[in-house]
Amino acid sequence: MRPIEMRFPSEASVLEPVQQIIEAVGRAADVDEEELSSLSVAVVELVKNAMEHGNRNDPEKMVTVSFSIFPNRIRFLIDDEGTWEPEKALGFNPGEGDELLSTRGRGILIARNLAKWVEFGLTPEGKTRVTLIWPLT
Amino acid sequence: MKIKEEMKGDVLVITLSGKVIGGPELIDVKDVFQKAVDRDHRKVLLDLGKVSWMDSSGLGVIVSGHTTLSRAGGALKILNATKKIHELFIITKLITIFETFTDEQEALDSFGD
Repeated sequence: MRPIEMRFPSEASVLEPVQQIIEAVGRAADVDEEELSSLSVAVVELVKNAMEHGNRNDPEKMVTVSFSIFPNRIRFLIDDEGTWEPEKALGFNPGEGDELLSTRGRGILIARNLAKWVEFGLTPEGKTRVTLIWPLT
Repeated sequence: MKIKEEMKGDVLVITLSGKVIGGPELIDVKDVFQKAVDRDHRKVLLDLGKVSWMDSSGLGVIVSGHTTLSRAGGALKILNATKKIHELFIITKLITIFETFTDEQEALDSFGD
């Protein structure tokens, strides 16, 4: 199928609608009801990172989430208007040592653990693109 | 998201309900821990049983609460984390920091005198 694309301003008020939309996409693709919140947490974490690190929380800058449902997987693409590398943007490992008690920086760790595939790359225009693959069983 | 506070003995039980999804309302959660310390309530039990959805932002304020209470010589413990929230505690290794309970009385008793 051709991807379906949604664009959101970089502001916190869109997070709950994004969460609801992602769960609706998962439901349409027959994701187990128990796994819907894991799917939406993973995608919302990546949307929040795009807002913060790619768009610097500028509400004029958009995050684009597109998805394609295939017979065995859903593919989400999360694009922002900046360029950043996840490890560089985080600068620390939130699950280790003194950083265990950091109040932030766990989003990518959580997304990578909940989703089966999360990959950071670039759009053809050179902006950050995160690809998340959710297998369908 | 809603926040409810209730004293049970000398333990302040804070109950969150609904979605903990980020944004300005998380400041209210952060504040509730600081206010607990300001009122000399240093034994705090956070009940997450009615939280329907939570991500790293929620974990961030819980860690902030832990730090606030620990620095004041107190403790923050977790009650009724759902299966999904418990999974987040495991992924982030926060499970090594927090005492978690499924029985309220057991949690209250764990604070001691």
